[in-house]
Amino acid sequence: MTTQLKELTKGLWEQNPIFVIALGLCPTLAVTTSVRNAIGMGVSTIFVLVLSNVLISAVRTIVPDKIRIPCYIVIIAFLVTVVDLVLAAYFPDISKAIGLFIKLIVVNCIILGRAEAFAAKNNPWRSMLDGIGMGIGFLIALLMVSGIREVLGANKLFGYVVFPGWRPIGVMVLAPGAFLTLGLLLGWKRLSELKH
Amino acid sequence: MPSLLNVSSSPHIRTDDSVPRIMWTVVIALVPTCAYSVYLFGWYTLALILVCVATAVITEAAIQWWRKVPVTVSDGSAVVMGMLVACNIPPCITWWIPVIGTFVGMAIAKHCFGGLGYNIFNPALIGRAFILAAYPKDMTTWKIVGTAAKVDATTTATPLMMLKEHGYPYLIEHFGGDKWALYKDLFIGNVGGCIGETSALLILVGAGIMLARKVITLYIPLSYLGTLALLTFVFKGDPLFAILAGGVMLGAWFMATDMVTSPVTKKGQVIFGAGCGLLTFIIRTYGGYPEGTSYAILLMNATVPLIDRFFTNRVLGTK
Amino acid sequence: MTITTLLLVLLSAVFVNNFVFAKFLGTCPYLGCSKDTSSATGMGLAVIFVMTMTSAVCWAVYHFFLYPSTANVLYLVFGSAQAAAADSAYIKTHFDLTFLSTLSFILVIAALVQFVEMVIQKVSPALYSALGIYLPLITTNCAVLAVAILNIDGMMLHGTQLGYGHSGSLLFALMNGFGGGVGFTVALLLMSGIRERLDLGDVPRPLRGMPIAFITAGLLAISFMGFLGLVK
Repeated sequence: MTTQLKELTKGLWEQNPIFVIALGLCPTLAVTTSVRNAIGMGVSTIFVLVLSNVLISAVRTIVPDKIRIPCYIVIIAFLVTVVDLVLAAYFPDISKAIGLFIKLIVVNCIILGRAEAFAAKNNPWRSMLDGIGMGIGFLIALLMVSGIREVLGANKLFGYVVFPGWRPIGVMVLAPGAFLTLGLLLGWKRLSELKH
Repeated sequence: MPSLLNVSSSPHIRTDDSVPRIMWTVVIALVPTCAYSVYLFGWYTLALILVCVATAVITEAAIQWWRKVPVTVSDGSAVVMGMLVACNIPPCITWWIPVIGTFVGMAIAKHCFGGLGYNIFNPALIGRAFILAAYPKDMTTWKIVGTAAKVDATTTATPLMMLKEHGYPYLIEHFGGDKWALYKDLFIGNVGGCIGETSALLILVGAGIMLARKVITLYIPLSYLGTLALLTFVFKGDPLFAILAGGVMLGAWFMATDMVTSPVTKKGQVIFGAGCGLLTFIIRTYGGYPEGTSYAILLMNATVPLIDRFFTNRVLGTK
Repeated sequence: MTITTLLLVLLSAVFVNNFVFAKFLGTCPYLGCSKDTSSATGMGLAVIFVMTMTSAVCWAVYHFFLYPSTANVLYLVFGSAQAAAADSAYIKTHFDLTFLSTLSFILVIAALVQFVEMVIQKVSPALYSALGIYLPLITTNCAVLAVAILNIDGMMLHGTQLGYGHSGSLLFALMNGFGGGVGFTVALLLMSGIRERLDLGDVPRPLRGMPIAFITAGLLAISFMGFLGLVK
């Protein structure tokens, strides 16, 4: 049981896909202009990651080794298309803002990375736990980056004004702000580790 | 960093006797143009300059204290950085905007990279570019507060903004239909603009001080201004106006010449200057901003490691 | 599609809408392959090559297989011209496969990269030894898939929407793919030069490696904002 719990919790912080393994950086930079977009992206990624981990783990013994990567990609692309269409139908505003990056979940290194590193070697149950943990870790990272950027760059959180009367630093929701926020967050995490 | 053994690659300046000499020379060289701006735009401008300098010094001291490294604010480099940020902002901007710019430039562009000698980008220009992106309206509004202003109608827009929005004939007409009157106003400094860029004459005085004390060389400024003038001439513009107007004088003499963020070799410096000129011309003529000096220098800063790599002096005995 | 338009598309893709600094595409290989100038050059050339090829091939896939039109191969084989003549929405309702774009594009890219790798190995061993190790990495470079997807909508230039449906959309796609690759290479080269210098410098310990690379990218992105408005 404890090892199973570990599969679930390791992705949250110690092996956080963004802060530690540094995978899936493009969406982390691109969709974190607001917390709402970040949640849309995070939840979509969790859905794809969990299901792809389970499916790939289930077929891992059937698929010949040589063509496994194309097979994985087909499974992932199928799941991404489902998410893309669902989002476009029910959350058109999010889909409009981050649609390209929803499509690009196909090539998100986290998904294929977990498929190769974990799902291809473990049973579906463990793969699901791994997927949930990694997905939530990804979501946590997105929430941190987007929280900082939305407050500093737009003076808002979930669309509500945070400090009335304060004029936000608009550049933080633009491209430079994304790179700087992530860079400083990574440095901050490294600093807290060095102190221990 | 062990204090006994400082191993570093060459163009880096380490904290030694020459740094304070260089930096305080630059401070003195900046005084005429800053003082003239205070005369032109009033006491608020002086307050802005002091706020920028104070922010730079405090930020640097705080970071060095926090990192437990020697506090080096007395070498003058923080003062220069603060003054240069002040030189690159409108004379009547809300005071906390340059504070943000100075802090970001100092903390991120300079100390995240290891402090003086290791920064890739000019910290003052990063500060300016950051607040220009964050508060574009404030950074391009030239309203004068108070009655101390000595410049009249011309202060609502800089000559470069007039050129961009209304064209060259309008600009000439605005200055009395005589282009020599325009040159004279630009040269003396009877026009609107950022704190440090109004008077070409006083910038040249500062440049003279730096040249006399051998703090800068002529390679970068001349190739920068020459390329800009040549390109403007070829594309049927007014070359003299191009080099006198806006921040290009300030940029070419004071910011492009920063020895940490410019190439080491003469050949590299000429290429660096020419690149600055080309980019300034492109951004001014075809870009969205009326002035491109700061971006041109920042973009060329980024190419310095590559320039240094490909345009090194031949080592004797090698090919 | 005039030469000027093509040049503007190129300028836009390289400088104004740089894939890395303005669109956040290809960040993982951008940070992974920018540690030294020689691998940056190799990766950059490989990306230029693959992005141009991808743009052309994915355009063809979209044009001949996914988009419902009389040029659609599936319609030509399985459709009936009489039904299309009788009902103007016939082709659209029966042969619209555009929802499969992402899936088909990624398969095309994976196959294309594999194919290119084999061809180069056969034709030019010298080129292969220079680019070979970078090619497999490109399949997961999101900039490549993104350029194929972005080419469909295209971009707004002087009030005209260039992209699929516009008369010059194939040329646009080629230019956009090529320019995107060049822009990626420019970003990669600048970054690699800076990182080589930073290795010799005195970056504070917690910031070494990834963090300072991100901060440098942020400052480069600020500098690239100077190109804003260059192409309207």
